[in-house]
Formats: sequence, C-alpha cells, structure tokens
Amino acid sequence: MNLNRLKSVPVLLGLIAAFTHCSGDDNGATNNGPDGSPGTDAPSSEGDGTTPTDASGNVDGGMMASDSGDAGSQPTTVKGVVASVAFVPGSATEPTIAPGYYKGATVCVDANGNGKCDTGETQTTTDAMGKFSLALPAPAALIADIGTSATNTASNATNPSRNVFRASVEQVTEQSGAVVLSALSTEVVRLTEANGTGYAAEKPNLATRVTAGTVQVGPDQVLSDFNALTGMTQRALLREANILTGRFAYAITKLDRGDLYPDALAVPGGDPELTGLSGVTAGTATTTETRHAITFLQAEQAAFNVEAIPRYDHIFIVMLENKSTQAILNSAFAPKINAYLAAGNQAISYYATGNPSEPNYTALGGGDDFGIADDSQWNCDAMGANAVQDTPVPDNTQPGLASSPFAATCTQAVGTNHNIVGKKNLFNAITASGMSWRTYSESMNPGQDFRTDSVADPAVTAPDHVYAPGTVGGNAATIGNPGLVVPLPASLYKTKHHPGMAYQNVRSAPEFKYSNRTLGGGQWDSALKNTTKYTIPAGYDYDQLGTDLASGDVGELNFVMPDQCDDMHGITVNGTLSSDAGAGPTAASDCGSVANNVPVATGGAIITRGDNYVDALVKKIQASNLWKNPQEKIAIVLMFDEGNATSGFNSCCGWKASKSATSNPLVQSGSTWSVDNSNANYTQGNQGHGMSVFGILTNQAAAPKGIVDSDSYSHFSFVRTLEDMFMLADPANDASYANRAKYTEKFIAQNILNLPEFAASADTHYDAVRPMNHAFVIPASYAAKQTADDSRTPQTGPDAKQTNVWATK
Amino acid sequence: MRDSCRLIVVGATLLGCGGSDPVATRGLAQDAGAAETGGPRDTSGTLLSDASDASPQDASVPPPADAPGTAPARDAAPQDVGSQARALSLAAQVGRDLFFDATLSASGAMSCSTCHDPAHAYGPPNGLAVQLGGVQGDQAGTRAVPSLRYKEFTPPYADLLDNPDGVSVPGPGGGYTWDGRAATLADQAKIPLLSSFEMANASPADVVAKIKAGSYASLFQQAFGADAFNDADAAFNDAAAALQAFQDDDVSFHPFSSKFDLYAGNKIGGSLTAAETRGFKVFVDPSTGNCAACHYQGAGLNGSSALFTDFSFEAISLPRNAAIPANADPTFIDMGVCGPTRTDHLPADAGAPDAFCGMFKTPTLRNVATRTAFFHNGVIHSLEQAIRFYNTRDTAPELWYPTIGGTPKATTDPGFPTYGLVTTQYVGGTVQKFDDLPAAYLTNIDPQLPLDGRAAGSAPPMTDQDVADLICFLGTLSDDYQPPATPPTSGACVN
Repeated sequence: MNLNRLKSVPVLLGLIAAFTHCSGDDNGATNNGPDGSPGTDAPSSEGDGTTPTDASGNVDGGMMASDSGDAGSQPTTVKGVVASVAFVPGSATEPTIAPGYYKGATVCVDANGNGKCDTGETQTTTDAMGKFSLALPAPAALIADIGTSATNTASNATNPSRNVFRASVEQVTEQSGAVVLSALSTEVVRLTEANGTGYAAEKPNLATRVTAGTVQVGPDQVLSDFNALTGMTQRALLREANILTGRFAYAITKLDRGDLYPDALAVPGGDPELTGLSGVTAGTATTTETRHAITFLQAEQAAFNVEAIPRYDHIFIVMLENKSTQAILNSAFAPKINAYLAAGNQAISYYATGNPSEPNYTALGGGDDFGIADDSQWNCDAMGANAVQDTPVPDNTQPGLASSPFAATCTQAVGTNHNIVGKKNLFNAITASGMSWRTYSESMNPGQDFRTDSVADPAVTAPDHVYAPGTVGGNAATIGNPGLVVPLPASLYKTKHHPGMAYQNVRSAPEFKYSNRTLGGGQWDSALKNTTKYTIPAGYDYDQLGTDLASGDVGELNFVMPDQCDDMHGITVNGTLSSDAGAGPTAASDCGSVANNVPVATGGAIITRGDNYVDALVKKIQASNLWKNPQEKIAIVLMFDEGNATSGFNSCCGWKASKSATSNPLVQSGSTWSVDNSNANYTQGNQGHGMSVFGILTNQAAAPKGIVDSDSYSHFSFVRTLEDMFMLADPANDASYANRAKYTEKFIAQNILNLPEFAASADTHYDAVRPMNHAFVIPASYAAKQTADDSRTPQTGPDAKQTNVWATK
Repeated sequence: MRDSCRLIVVGATLLGCGGSDPVATRGLAQDAGAAETGGPRDTSGTLLSDASDASPQDASVPPPADAPGTAPARDAAPQDVGSQARALSLAAQVGRDLFFDATLSASGAMSCSTCHDPAHAYGPPNGLAVQLGGVQGDQAGTRAVPSLRYKEFTPPYADLLDNPDGVSVPGPGGGYTWDGRAATLADQAKIPLLSSFEMANASPADVVAKIKAGSYASLFQQAFGADAFNDADAAFNDAAAALQAFQDDDVSFHPFSSKFDLYAGNKIGGSLTAAETRGFKVFVDPSTGNCAACHYQGAGLNGSSALFTDFSFEAISLPRNAAIPANADPTFIDMGVCGPTRTDHLPADAGAPDAFCGMFKTPTLRNVATRTAFFHNGVIHSLEQAIRFYNTRDTAPELWYPTIGGTPKATTDPGFPTYGLVTTQYVGGTVQKFDDLPAAYLTNIDPQLPLDGRAAGSAPPMTDQDVADLICFLGTLSDDYQPPATPPTSGACVN
C-alpha cells in the first residue's frame, strides 16, 4: 500500500522551480517576524508567482494574541499552517517531492489523545493556504486531523487517506504565531515518545538525520515551513517529510481500521492467528491471542516498525557468490567476514531460493524467480505479453555499443521467459514511495550499457594479486606473481547478478540509468581509463559509491555487487608473465572458482580475495559521515546469493515445496485468489540452493550485537523484511507483498487449495515466509532443519536470545 | 573443486528386449492430492476433463488402444499432494498410443513398454542383462535397459557440458542412451524402432505404414495434419516427437513420489529413519560413499534438483559380461562414448589415444532399488552387489574379475565374500582386472572415491554398516512410496 502516492500535477514543477530563488535557508523564517513581506491571508493560487515565503504562514507579529515571551500561561491565539508534500512520479533522477499545504484540515487540541479532532475539542479548519488560527486558553500541543476531504495543495488532490500531524506544546510555544504542523513536527513528537526524551533533544536529532554530506539542515530549519526553504536543504526535508507522511498515514490507517497490536507476525512466540487454524502444524502454532485494538500512540510507533522490522534510512546489501555456510563460517580463508559476522548479528538458517545466480537475484529483487532456472540474458524467450519493451536492445548495432556482447535474440530449448513484465518488485516500490534505490556494480567497462555484461579489454591491465605467506588461510608460500600482467577479463560485471535486471518495469523505469552506479575497489580500476571498448562518458566516476558515501547521495535501498572475482564467484583470468612472454597464459592468483561447499582445509585464494574486498568495502562505508551519523539508521548486510544444497533441504520459506505438485502463482481478484497459469515453466523455479551466511551490521551504537537468529528464512523472507523496513507493504493486505513474499503460514493455509505444493506439509512453519524479526520462538523439542552440507549439529530448541537482529536499541 | 564423477551404471540403452508381456501392468501415477486442489488445470487454465479417464486428476497413461480399460489405477499415494498432471497434448496422446503399440515391431510382440515397463519405473521387467528382440524376438541386445523416468532435464550431449553443480569442471555429459549419442528423447526413440535387435522395423516408412494402419491414425492426423502421412520421413519424425511429448507431459515419467521426495519436500511421512539418515551421509560423504559426486542430488540445470545424476560420463571399467552374446566375439568391446555403437568419438586407430573410451553415462539412481540388472552391461544383478563392486573393485578385484592361472580352492576360506561375481577362491594366478577395456584406455578410468585405485588387500572405503545403510537410503528413492500409518520401530532400515 502506497499511501503517499499522489497524483502528478504538472504545475508543481513550476512551483518547485519558483522556490529556487527563495532565501529560505536563512534563519529568519520561523521564530521572529520575517524581514520579508508579511504573511497575507489572501489565498493565492499555486504557481501564480507568489513567493513561497508569502505562502508559508510566517508570523504576523501584529496579530499575535499574546506576548510570545510568556505564552505558556496566557490565553493565546495560535496561528500556523499545516504543511504537506506530494510525490510526483516520473523523475529520471532524484524523487520529485512538491511542497504545499493541506486545505480543509482540522486543527485541534486532541484533549483525549485519540488521534482525532472530536466534537467538543477546540478546533478550526485550515484555509486554502493551509493556514489556521486557533484561540486557546494557553499554548497546547496540537494535532492536524487531515481527513479525506482535505486538499493537498502540493498535488491539488484530495487527501487519499486520513492522516494526523502533531506538534508538541514546546514547538507551539517556540514557533509562537507560526506553528508548522507537518510530518516532520509529528516525527519529533513520536521520537520523544519512542525514546523517552524531549523536544529539545529530538528536534536537533531530526535535523541531524536529514543532514548529509553537503546538505546542511539546521535545528532551526527542520521544523520550519519547508515551503519557504530552497535548494538541497528543502529537498532533503521534503524527501524526509514525504517518507514520514506515508508512515503517519499508515499509522492512522491502522488505527482507523482497528488493527490488533502488534502485527501478527511480530507477536513474541509466533503468529497467534495460527493457533488452532486447520492446515497448520500444531506444534509450532501455540501462541495465545492476547492482542487488543491498537491505540493512537501505538499506531504512531507501529508504522515505523512494520512487523517488528524497524525503519532504516539506508541499507547496503553486499552480494557475494556461491558459498555455503560450510565454506565461509569459521573458514581460515575468510577471517574478516567471520569477524564481521561475530561483531554484528546473524541469521544462521538462511536459504537461497533458486539455482544458479539469476533466479536468486531476481528473487531478491521481487520475491520470485518466475521459473527462471539459468543465467541467461534477460531477453531470452521473451515472447508475446513478455516481449521486451526496451527497444532497441543494447546490442552492437546501437550507437556507441559496438563492443556490446548482447545478443539481440535469444531462444532456448526450455523456453522459459526471462523478461518479467508487470510484476511487483522492490525497485518500483521504492521509487513509487518517493525513495531511491541504487545498484553499485564493480568493474563495468566505462561507457557500457548496464544491461549488458562487461567485456574483455586487453588495453586494461593490472598486476596479479600477490599474497604473502600467512595471508591466505595460513599459506606457507607466497601466492601470486608480481610479474604477471593480467588484462581485464570478460564478464566481471554480469547482468545475471543485478536483482532488478529481469524486471521490465525496472529496466524501463525513468531512474534506471541514474540508479545504476559504479563500485570502486577493483583490481583494474586504475587502468579502466585506458579502455578501448566504449567511449568513456564525460565526468565518468569510477567509484560512484565512494562519491555517494561522501555526499550522502546513496539510496534507501542499495545493492552492492562486487565483480566476479571479488564476489568469490570466480572466472577464468589469465595473464602473461612480463619475464617470460612466451610462457603462455598464466592463471591469476585469486580468481579461480572453488566449490560452493569447499571444505575449509582446501579453500581457495578467491575466498580470501572476497574476504579482503568485503573488509575494504565495509570499512569504507563505516568511514563515511553517513555511517557516523547516529540519527540515520544504516545497515550493511553481508550475504551470498546461493549456497550448495547437494543434499537435505534446498530451501524454505516460500520455496517450491513439492516436485510432484505444481503451484502456479496466485492472482487476486476482489477478495479471492485464483491461479495464474500463464507461465508454463513456472514450476521449474524457486527450488532453492541451500544455506549460506547472512550477517547484519548497523551503525547504531545501542543496537544489540552478537545476536543469532536460527529461525528459517529465505530470500523471500528478506524481501518481505525489506518491504516492512521501507513500509512498501501492509501486513493486513497480502497482495501488497511482492509475489512469494506474501506466502506467510496463514496465507498458505488459507489458500492451500490453490497451492498444492504446500499440502501435506510436515512443518508449515518451515514452508512459510516471515519477516526476519526473530519473533517466533522455536519449540523446545524442535530440531532445526538444514542443508545436509552444513556440518553444524542441528540446533534443538529455541535460541539463546530472542532479540530482533534488526533492533536499533 | 568437487570431485568429478565416477559412474554407477544402472541401466542401458534400449536394446533388445523381449519375452515380456507388451501390455504389462501400467498402473500409473495418480495424484491423490489433486482432489483437494480444485482439480488440475492445464497450462491454459482449463480445468481438466479427460473423458477417457474417470479420475480427472489422473492425466497419466490410460490403457493402450489394444487393451482398453485394463489399466488399474494405483492406490492414491498420500504424498502426491496436488497434481502436476495436465492434459496430454494431442502429440502426447499419440505418443501414448505409440508407446504401447506392439504392432510397431517386426515381431508384432514388442512395444516400447515391453522393455520400458511402467510397472518397473519404465525400466526392464526382468533381470536379464540384455533383452531380446528382433524380427523373431530372439536377438539379444548389447546393453541393459535404462529407466525412462526423470529424463526430461537431460541436456544434449557435449564434450564439455557444464556440470549441474555449477562448480565442477565441464566434461563429457548429457544426451540419451548409455553413450549419449541421441540429443533428444525424440532422437532416442528412433533407435529402438529401427534397431535390428529391438523393434526391427526395416525403415522409417515401415514404421509409418504401421501407424497409418493403426487404430490411432486419425489421432495422428489430428495432431500432425491431415497430410501427415504423405511424407514418411516427416511422419517418422512426428512419431518420434510424439513419443517425446508423451514422456515430457505424462506425470508417470516423473512422479517424484518417493520417500526421499517426501523428505526433501518437508512432507508428512518423509522423516528418514536412523539407518536411512546414516546412508544419506554415506551417499554424500566424499571420504566414503561419495556417490553424490556423480549421482548429484542437488539443484541442477533448468530448475531440476534431486535427479541423482549429473549427466556426466565416466569410465569405471566394469567386468566383461559373458551373458551378452555379442561379447562372445573378443574383438567386440563396448567402449561407450568412443564406440563402436557411437561413431563420432572413435579412436583414430585401434588403441590410439582417446579420452572418451570406456565412458558411460551416469544414470539417475531414482528407483534403483527396483532394478535387477545394473550398469551398462547388466553384469551386476543386485543393488548390494553394485555397491559392493564400488567398494571392493580395487581392494578385492578377484571378486569381480576372472583369475587366470590360479588354483581353485575346493572350499573357500571362512569370511571369503560371497557377494562378488566370482565366488571361487583361487590360490595363485592373476586377476584380469579391467577385462573389458583395452589397456590403452585404463588411464581414462576415473580415480575418485570410492574407486580411488587403492591397493588390493587394503581396507575398502565403506564399512559393512555403511553399505547396509546406503542400501537403506537408496531404497528411499523408489517411487510410489506410501508412508506406513505407524512407523515401525524395528526391522530393516529402521534403527
């Protein structure tokens, strides 16, 4: 559910443009009377040339009913505005968020604290400019009850669902006659309640949250009328206000429909709705239902903790390749990753959902692989309704793409469509919510199309990596040859390793090109400037991640894909010896692939190579001001696309649970679900590929560390977790979750007739998707299922601690 | 790097087959759970209503045209939750009729199902190393009959096929028959139709003429066009395609209804016993059984998993089988990929280096416990014997290969194994190890566990307990498993 998705209004673009000449960054916009033109009560229509300052509800000191110096005890007339934002879809770069006001919102003192302006509570209604004036016996906390009859002047559309903004009494007092009720003011109130702090602490905290890189937001600006601000400061505040508006609208939706609190899948112990439900394994469904209807204040917090997954501002998901838990955990070849796993939190029963890479990345992008079971190009067998819409395709006939390896047509015997059309995915959902995504990919050819694999380039060379004794799993002799010159091999960057690539709506998204970015740290980076394959774009940035970390211009959702050497995948990389040119091709020291489940004793240099790369990457993120900003919640996930799964359970949690039964996807029509048979090869997908490590690091000093969650999770669980984290979905609406991410235990039980692959389950908990919140408590007698290549003794019973691995405090 | 594979051969190309009832039991999979699922649908979403079968969820093989109504439905297996069944396409319906049609053989007594018996997992119904066929039904084949189950994921042969495990180095793999020479099931189907010791038709036109005269000729035209019979070669290709369509479409060729499937799918009744669990460990353990190195049960190509083969070819040099009449000629040596049946990898000259000599395809181990003829030449006749061969080929070769020049003992020593092919104990003499592969190609033999070339007399990789447990595990790969109402607490393969 995207509550903050509002209509695009072309005139808004003009309005934004008009703001750019404003001087709203100065400090005079809030407390004291402005030096500029006085506020006017005359409504001015949007875009008519009236400056935002005019429309911002600035204080007209002459109209104050009381002296602001002792406003706390005297009858007063509080004046102000209810400020709005509206997301304007279609931006090819950053999200476009327009500022405005709510006309027709009710402003009141919510005396009974129920999140509504009730009859009898002192109230007024905002005018066409969003202004209000309310006579009170004394300054008091206010709410704006923004009903569906209110108009958002930022979009000139009616408000799609009721929302409530709040301002604390401290803010009302401080802002005196120019109170700005907004999502930002509401957030300050919510933070004080969440943290047991006060206005004086949380207002600057919120300002700090929005401050990043060159974007400075002062405490005096954060609760000012953002209509009056300009430039990057305004943009940063609008962006945050838009996210918060969505969160608070969702809170009110939960309140108004009487949701039980907390969410079912957040209840400690397990989902209480399952207890006694037919078709559910009774031994894992034992939680008693004790929840009550959510209160206003609970709803305000719950909207930032959907299914107990806290809101993070940014997440960096570092994708590594093809190593099972056994290959990494406690491996002497990966000491640094192991140190990070130990220092942060872990999910230790985490499963891939497909084999090989492409289905796993596709599942990470949208909670399903749609039957893709190979690494083939995204246009393969894309026929009929699945036909590729990005025309022309980026083959070598296109201008500037003479070196493109892309095959314009692709037909395979299996005939599985590789172009996913019209399906939900994280990328479109993030964008539609006014947030940003990034994919950072290493070792692309400068100037190449992101939709093609990288190509070999003999003009780009680098020395072999050399490892001193004791640096690769205790090697006795030096590994690598300093005299080996290695040219850039093909396929360091692979589209199969892009979690959005299979989705037509992602490749076609206006922001696609803008959001695909480079990742530095590669072996050949310093020589890429010598490329002969494509024309290097002007201003090409070889390490956009580094740049973005410095500027703060990262996405909310960031997938980080090292190249096929640094991600431990391994490809053939040969060089020539400078000392012996006639020696023929000599393999590079550390890019030969090793088995997914390589035993520790024989692990290869490539594992250490990946370990070193991850270490440098994590350190780089952790060295950024972004990471060091404690008011921005940031997580790094270290994970692998797939494990090994030569035996035992290949997957869990939304997997294809039967080979003898075919479950096609379900589509919703009205309140019922039916089977979508349109994908003939769907049954080939989602078969899993075993367990691998999954580590979480956060920048929150107070966050619990060393937590191990052994509940069963899969890529689908992770997608659901991300949807919760960024409020891209609503637990009350199964259809709001992407594809198989909706396959909770309850959903499967309710739809078992259409999901025969899940019938006769020996353990419905294991089969089902849940967010990675550690709420479920494993019964005492329950022995963990696991891939048989995992040499750990299966755990019996609950975890030592049930702490949420995403907890921030 | 995962060990590349050795070969456990468990079946053989379709070769001469005969003597059995061509319309043997065709109890075919019924998907019991389908009734709970609202009924199976075909890919277009149409609810199935196969008028030929009262059970709408059963899209399996109905009786052949010449034996209407005789196919007993198998008991509904509770593990068959839901249904993968779908309506057979017209081509598949033609293929079904072709598959069971004995008139398509010169003898008039042999259909595809004679050797590929649906009651035996589409494998041979008997323990003959090679089956009989031909015009008179008296011609012996040269290789054991493989099962036709779980073939749909097999890619065409390639010298450097990517291993389905995604990691092992590419090597010879894929294709149909023991030597991989048929690229598709359709290509494969043509071989027995025309082989002189199988169905022994004189030509494609001969086959087409029989189809045209058969009871399903009109169905054939419905599927392939009114003029389908005008061009005999095209019609023969259509028939082969129809046989492939039947095998691709019909769930009975890939029922996935074993205990292992219940286990791997987290289904009720799928708990492995202690013995089976130990056997599974032996199966995957690189230091003992190491079966999984080739009989790969992980996730594979095109969405496959748990096929128990990686489609690879390996040389393990089985004992020569005197029960195959062709082997009476000492110059006839079946060397798999390098011929003589397959002709595109022949050595340049006799004995010339050729890395493909002696290589045969790794078959699936699904339903292996139901077989009584193992490996490409059927020289082994029980599952235990097959496992014992792997375990002791090197440590006790005298049990498997003939000894020349020795003196038989009148009475074997206590403890002399009786499971081998050779049960006579010799004093002195020379064991003719690898007696079915020219010396020039012994270097092609796969050196990995359990056939790691260890010295005769040394300890074998697996203990007797390992062997027993492995047999128990392999027993879980048999289809049509029905869990007992009450799991036993004692007996074979329990504790």
